[in-house]
This record gives sequence, C-alpha cells and structure tokens, in this order.
Amino acid sequence: FPQKESGAPATCMGPASTQDLNSSYGDGMAGECSRKPDQKLPELRGMGDLTMFSSDSSYLSSRGRMIKWFWDSAEEGYRTYHMDEYDEDKNPSGIINLGTSENKLCFDLLSERLSQQDMQWVEPSLLQYPDWRGHLFLREEVAKFLSFYCKSPAPLKPENVVVLNGCASLFSALATVLCEAGEAFLIPTPYYGAITQHVYLYGHVRLAYVYLDSEVTGTDTRPFQLTVEKLEMALQEANSKGVKVKGLILINPQNPLGDIYSPGELQEYLVFAKRHELHVIVDEVYMLSVFEDSVGYRSVLSLEGLPDPQRTHVMWATSKDFGMSGLRFGTLYTENQDVATAVASLCRYHGLSGLVQHQMAQLLRDRDWINQVYLPGNHARLKAACAYVSEELRALRIPFLSRGAGFFIWADLRKYLRKATFEEEMLLWRRFLHNKVLLSFGKAFECKEPGWFRFVFSDKAQRLRLGMQRVRQVLEGDAQMAEDPPPWQTQEPSDQCR
Amino acid sequence: MSHQSETCPVPSDQKPGQVLKDQSTYDQLLKMVLHLQWLVKKHFIQLEVTRRRQQLEGEKHAESICEQGNYLNLLMSKMVNVLRSGATSGLECQEYLPCLDSRDDVRSEQRAELSRQPDPLVPQLSDFEPAFVSHDLSNRGADISVLYHSSFQDYIAYQGDKFHEENNPLGFINLGTSENKLCIDLMIKRLSENDMNHIEDFLLQYPDWRGQPFLREEVAQFLTYYCRAPAQLDPENVVVLNGCCSVFSALAMVLCDPGEGFLVPTPVYGGFAFSSRLYAHVELIPVHLESEITEANTCPFQLTVDKLEQVLLEAKSKGKKVKGLILTNPQNPLGDIYSRDSLKEYLTFAKRYNLHVIIDEIYLLSVFDESITFHSVLSIKSLPDPNRTHMIWGTSKDFGISGFRFGVLYTHNKDVASAVGSFGYLHSISGIDQHKLSKLLHSREWIDSRYLPTNRSRLRDAHRYITKKLKELKIPFLYRGAGLYIWINLKKYLDPCTFEEEVLLLRRFRDNKLILSCGKAYMCKEPGWFRLVFAENSFRLRLAMRRFCQVLQEQKQSWIEKQLEESVKE
Repeated sequence: FPQKESGAPATCMGPASTQDLNSSYGDGMAGECSRKPDQKLPELRGMGDLTMFSSDSSYLSSRGRMIKWFWDSAEEGYRTYHMDEYDEDKNPSGIINLGTSENKLCFDLLSERLSQQDMQWVEPSLLQYPDWRGHLFLREEVAKFLSFYCKSPAPLKPENVVVLNGCASLFSALATVLCEAGEAFLIPTPYYGAITQHVYLYGHVRLAYVYLDSEVTGTDTRPFQLTVEKLEMALQEANSKGVKVKGLILINPQNPLGDIYSPGELQEYLVFAKRHELHVIVDEVYMLSVFEDSVGYRSVLSLEGLPDPQRTHVMWATSKDFGMSGLRFGTLYTENQDVATAVASLCRYHGLSGLVQHQMAQLLRDRDWINQVYLPGNHARLKAACAYVSEELRALRIPFLSRGAGFFIWADLRKYLRKATFEEEMLLWRRFLHNKVLLSFGKAFECKEPGWFRFVFSDKAQRLRLGMQRVRQVLEGDAQMAEDPPPWQTQEPSDQCR
Repeated sequence: MSHQSETCPVPSDQKPGQVLKDQSTYDQLLKMVLHLQWLVKKHFIQLEVTRRRQQLEGEKHAESICEQGNYLNLLMSKMVNVLRSGATSGLECQEYLPCLDSRDDVRSEQRAELSRQPDPLVPQLSDFEPAFVSHDLSNRGADISVLYHSSFQDYIAYQGDKFHEENNPLGFINLGTSENKLCIDLMIKRLSENDMNHIEDFLLQYPDWRGQPFLREEVAQFLTYYCRAPAQLDPENVVVLNGCCSVFSALAMVLCDPGEGFLVPTPVYGGFAFSSRLYAHVELIPVHLESEITEANTCPFQLTVDKLEQVLLEAKSKGKKVKGLILTNPQNPLGDIYSRDSLKEYLTFAKRYNLHVIIDEIYLLSVFDESITFHSVLSIKSLPDPNRTHMIWGTSKDFGISGFRFGVLYTHNKDVASAVGSFGYLHSISGIDQHKLSKLLHSREWIDSRYLPTNRSRLRDAHRYITKKLKELKIPFLYRGAGLYIWINLKKYLDPCTFEEEVLLLRRFRDNKLILSCGKAYMCKEPGWFRLVFAENSFRLRLAMRRFCQVLQEQKQSWIEKQLEESVKE
C-alpha cells in the first residue's frame, strides 16, 4: 500500500488547535523562551507550501527547510545566552539562565558518585553492537528501580522496558509507532513545549490542545485544573475538524505548573482514554523531584488495575531526577509488547553507548546512595531554592503556583503587561533578557493567557539571588523602561549573527 | 534486508495450541486470502501511481484512497490472522527449531512470499505482512516492527545465543555483522586509562545538539589529518550524532521529501535501505553492477559514470525525482576502493545533474593492505560541488567500538549542517562519552604508533587466513585490501541459482550456528554472493570456518541425493 506519509503531511486542524510550533528549541540551551512571535510556522494547511516562510536554501528538501526552521528560530535565546553565559569569575555580567529546566544543585553529589571505581568498567560486550532495547542488565535494573520508586503493586518486568537516549527520542519513537502522519495527541496546556518538536520532526504527529484556565470557578477547584469534561470537549473539537486523535499525553508531575495529579484524577483521565480507545503516554520525568512529602505523589505504575494497561505507556529519565540532562538516558515502560517491540525497532537510531548503560545500571542499583545521600540532599536543596524564589515573588506581590514538585514556579506577571497580548509578553521577556536574565514565557508552553512565566529555581543560591535581583530590577523599573526608546533593539543578537 | 519471508511474528492474542478442526480448508482459504490481499495491494499501488501522475487532482481524493487502502489492509490482515491461527501453525515456529530438513516448508513459504513480491531484488517494505496485526500500533508502526524483525532476524537470534568459549560453545558465531573484534584488548586498555574518566558539570548538562564544541574541534582536526585535507577542516561543518545510521537518516530527511530517491550502486550495505525506509521514506534506486568482466567492466562490480547516467535517466523517465547519490568508500561489501580519478568522475557526474553525494567513509582507517592508497573525498582539492558533498564517518568500524554510538557528518553546506543539527536531540550522545571520544581521537601518538599498526596487521592476518581457506575450498572471492569482510561467491552450491536457494543456504548456515549475510541483503543482482566478516579472533574464526565447511559439505550431499532421487524417478 502507498505510505500515507508520502503525501504532504498536511492535516488541517483549524486555528484553534493549530500549533504555530512556536514553542521552543527543546529544553536544551535555549529553553522554552526563545522564539520571536513573528517567526511562525504557517498554519497546518500551509504546510505543503513551505517556501513562504522557510529558509531559502535550495539544497534542502521542503521538509528539510522546515526542519532547519526549528533550528534557526531557536537562535535568538540560544545564541544570546551562549554568547554571554554568566560565570562568576569570567563573566559576572553574563546572562543567568532561569529558563532551562535543569537541576544544577547536585553536581557535587553526582560527580562524586560517577567518579567511583565501579563506574569505569569496560568490557567487550559494552563496546559491541547491543540488544537495541538496551542491555538486559540495565533493563533489569530499571525494572527493579521503577518497581521500588513507583511503588508498583507487582514487580515490573524487564521485557517491558526499552531504553534509549532520552525522552525526546522516546516521544519521537512513540509518536511514530502509535500514529500515522497527521494524526494527533491530546495534551493539556500549558505543557512542556518541546514535545511539539519531538513528535513532529520524524513522526509528523500533531498536538491537539486541551486549554486550561487559571481562574478558579465552580468545577475547577484549582488553577489550570484538568477535567474529563475539558478532555471530552477538546477531543470532540479535534474530531469535528477531521483530526484523528490517537492518544493523550499527561505530564506528572506537571511541567510547567509543578502540579501533580491525584490518583483519583489520574484514574478518571485513564478511564476517559479507555472509553475513546486512546493511548496514554504518561511522562513522569519529575517523579523523584517531588520535594514536599505532603504532596503524596503517585506514579501511574502504582495504580492497582489500570483501566487499559495495553494502552498505557510510561516514560522516565535521569535528566531531571538525577540532574543529568547531558547523560541522555530515557526509558519506556509498557506492558504492550507490540509497542515495546516497535519502539525497539527504532532504537538503532536512538541508542546509547554500552559504557553509559553500565554506568546507569550501577547508579540505579545503588539504593543506599540514592535513599540516604542523593534524594535527601537533592530534596532539601530544591526545597530551599524554591522557598527563596517564592519569598522573592511574594515580596513583589506576584501570584504564582508551586506545589512542591519540579524545578520551577509558574508565575503570573499579567499585571506587568500593558495589554494582555503575547506580543507584550514577548516584550517583557526581552526586557528580562536585556537585563541578563533568561526566563521562559507562557506562549512557549501554549498557555492560553498571556503573561505567565516559568521560573526555574534549581540553581546555585548565588546565581539564583543575582537572577532574582535582575528580575526585580526589570519589574520595578518597568514603567520607566517602557517610556524610553528600547536600547536593546540595537544589540539584537540575532541581528549580530545574521 | 534479506528475507522477510522468515518473519511471521505470532500475534500475542493467538494461542499456539489452538488448532482448529479442518486445517486443509484453512490452508486453502489462507492461500486465497493471501492472493486476494496481494491483488488489492497491487490495485492500490496502481491507484496511487495514477494519482501521482495526475497531480492536479485534489489531495482529498488521495487521502480517501489511502484511507480505503489502509482500512482494507487492516480487514484483510485480520482475516489472515484468523486463518493463520487455524491453519497449520508449523510455518511460524519452525525457524527457531534446529531443523536441518526444513527445505520443503521453507520452499512453500518462499513461494507464497514470492507471489507477493514483484521485485525480489529490492527489499520491499513489508507493509503488508499479514501475520502482524496490532490494534495498538499505527500502520507505519507495524511496518517498522516487521521490517526490523525481518531485516535483523539473524542478529536477534545471535543476541540471544552468543558463542562463548566456556559458557556457550554451541552458540552462534556471527560473521554476518560487520564488527571489528580484533582490537578490543587495545580499546579496553585505552578506554580504561585515567584521562577517560572525567566528569564536569557541563558534561552532565544539555549540550550543543550538534555535539560539544570540544568534540567537534577534535573531529575536525582528526579528519584533517587522516583524510589528508588540503586545508584545516572547520568544526562548524561537523555534526556528531549517535551513529552513522542516525547521520544518514537525518541527511535523508533533510535532503529528500518522501518518495524521492537516491541512486546507489549495488551491492551495497543494506543499512541504507533500512534507514531510508524507516523514518525518511526515501527510495533507493539501485545501479546494479555486474560481476562479469567485459570490455566496459574491467573489474568485477565496476562502477562507471555510464551506468550511473543510464539509471538516472531511466528513473527520471519514470517520473522519479532523484536527489542524490550514495557512495561508500571503502566499499561495503566489496572492499573496493575508488581511485581519485573515478571518485572525481562520480562527483562531476553528480554535479552535472545537481545531485547531492553522500559519501560514507566509515572504513576509512580499515585499509590494511599498505600498497593501497585511500583517497578520502575530503582530500580532494577542489570538489566539483562542495555544497552538495556530505561525508560520513564514525568510530564503529575503524576503532571497533560499535557499542559506542558515534557518527560524524562533515559538510561544507551550513544549511545542511544546521538542518541535521535539528535532529541532534533525537540522536544525542552522552556528555561523558563525548569527553571519552575526544580524548580517543586526540591520542594521535597512540593511534599512529600503537593502534593502527596493530589493527592493520591483525586484519591482514585474519584476511590471509580466510583467503587461504577459501582458496582451498575453491570458492571464488574478491581479493581486496580494505574493510572487515570478504565478498565470496557460493553460486556453485545453489541449484538452481536463485535468491530462494540463497536464502535457504543462509538458513542452513544459521542452523549450524553460523551467521553470514547473503547478497540479497545488499541488493546484489546476482544470486549466490555472500559477505563473510573476518575481523574475529582466530579461535572463533577457525571454528566458524569449520562450521562453514560442514554446511557446504551438507549442501553438496543433499544435492547429490536430489540428483539420485531424480534419476530414480526417471
């Protein structure tokens, strides 16, 4: 049969749920904070005709030009930050990055652990072609690790584990094997914007948004609350536009809200998904970064009797919980062998080295170190850092959400926008950047309301203090800045580069 | 790529013991449905072809054809599944039984397969594999699964049952996968040295997705030196990803739109076919080379511009859009090396037709015959079309560390580099490994005076052994001085000389716990060629050759028996 994707990838989703793919360059470097508002992908129906926006290279295919666009459009935040990174000694006036969600609080603990003798093991099998699902010794370790930390009712099985080089790859692979090109996943917004790119680049899979509101009304007992009604509505809307929805993506603990779903809520969403035969991808990459014990986080793997285990796929990685985004280790847990096998079939392209697999197995196995050294240390530091930024925001009378999970606070800066538009949001973001502090703005998370920003607090106290000081300067001097002609435009980094 | 017919994954909901009453009816029905399935598929391909010819027609219509096609596909596959569960189930499981006498079953399976495959030379994307149906996967997800398992079945078997001197002396010896296992002692020693184990904050943080600058710097210097580049290579032209297949996959994505094609001289490394289908959906258009020496063909499988041009024009006349040319140098599986002049000719040809050239030099340092001078494309002073010339290299083969996952793109074209860079986060390498790799590439002294001389001499020894053995067996082969493998001709053991027989012989090797790869996997036009990897330690290599001889003996024996039987019949 002809392959579906051999035609134009276009599926019209209509303006409401159309993404402008305006989110970000991945959580790496640039963070979710970098794209110019005018640099938009065309609406999906325009996808066939790329000449209108894409780079002009005659050497690239049309999808190549589109892909390059992802790269180029990320450059503003990315380049600006990288040309001028803060360094205590060498560049004290450089940019402080509170935009990228990385845990920089525990390098001392990690580098000590990773430098120990057991990590340096090299043997032939580690240097040769592996089982593409991941070496068995590692998958066994992952299964034990997840059984313990997710509190699964029964031991998890190594054959349900697939290991690859990070969750980005995992999103890409899952999108490819679960959806045809042009089909979609539901995702509640605001959400970690890089997923857009993850599922699109290879998979040509779309996201259909479930927009959440900050306002607390009758049924919504807390801001940005996800309900089954909203899921139903979004699904219907997508269907009515002819978009085939194949699944639902849940991030728990949530990024950027820092919120977690209760077991009851989770169960409801899963039942909803089962009713519509949707896959559920649960991204639990912040699972061990819940630093308030009272929160009572529950992994989906801890639920007794999943409504639809064959369509429930869990992902986890060491990037966040072990603060090693540069290590590139992610894992899938699914009871569905077809899905595991199909994802593994793609792992030739998303493999990680045998040496790293060995190191990861050693790390995950070291329950004593994790329980007695790493987690207590990490949680205490996250708690202190979160408390500091919260205090600062309170002093500025800025409303924010923070529930004791993740590396970030979701702050409401709407009162600092002259008009409630995303252009204004972008202007405010530029003012922060100009004052040498990089944040992420709400549009990058597809937040419906302009004016929300994500503050990453998992950084060293000294940088955090300086960063918050710069934020304060911008917000307090805001009125004055707005009147002057904006001097930073002359130093627009993207202008310098091009 | 070799033999999809072998894979019939049993769907999970099918109970193996569940045999229905009247098997013969089911068998018949199954045959009919398979045939029907093939007809329907053909019909839809026809429809699609017609549609592409009349591009004016609305996209909507095409979508609906596609939808219908997929729906029918699904229904049909379900039917086949039901039938399979009732039909003789022996077909599915036989491949894991060490049955030396599986010829007849295999034949019938082959025949069924052949009727579904119009062109046995080109590996088909088995999007129609009837036994594999999962409601949970998308069609392409199921395709990927089937394609992978049919392509790498031997490899999967090997992974589950590897030979080990003490623990598993009856396990598989793998001379099918191109891996250099001769210098693993040197590599382990080097990788265990102190400079390798270094942790720094930034190595644990999000990297530059094109590769850490320190590593790209090192790669540029390394390639400048070993490829003898006329000028210092630029780190900004380097992108590093987790393996050459990732580099190729990303390149195919950014250079071609779905359905467009690359020219590729065959026989060629089967991974290209796999990679181009898996994600990129790019077609490989084979330029079939011939083993016979004629006036135009001064050596076996010679590539000439005439042949390239002919295939290109033919493809164009069929309405295909050809975007580039893939070259491997040193060639895999032939072990050939292109002279500087022929290389230039190919590049000039490509320029004439505005074709990109992807040149894979992954065996660059595995030229073990010192009388041969290898010319990297990066050594050419004035490339005909630098903006369309993209070079791939990696450490898997030359340093024998395929488990390390490291591949390099070098291109003068900044657009291509940055577009491929966008894929960096899907094909990234751990920061800790990037450090190790940069240290490895940096140790010029060790590479030049220790590693390379040892590696070459060990490859030479292994090559000498294998060629001697083949001569004894009177098996024709190509005598070359590069690569980890040798291209041999077992035509005389096939009767008749067909691709089905080739697969059967391959299976016979596997039944004797020896993995090889056959010509079909390299899109070779002539049945009977096999690739044998000799970069294995001498104990295993010797054992492997014993198994090899034994299989050929058996093959001969059964041929004689067949002859006898036939003469008795007459």
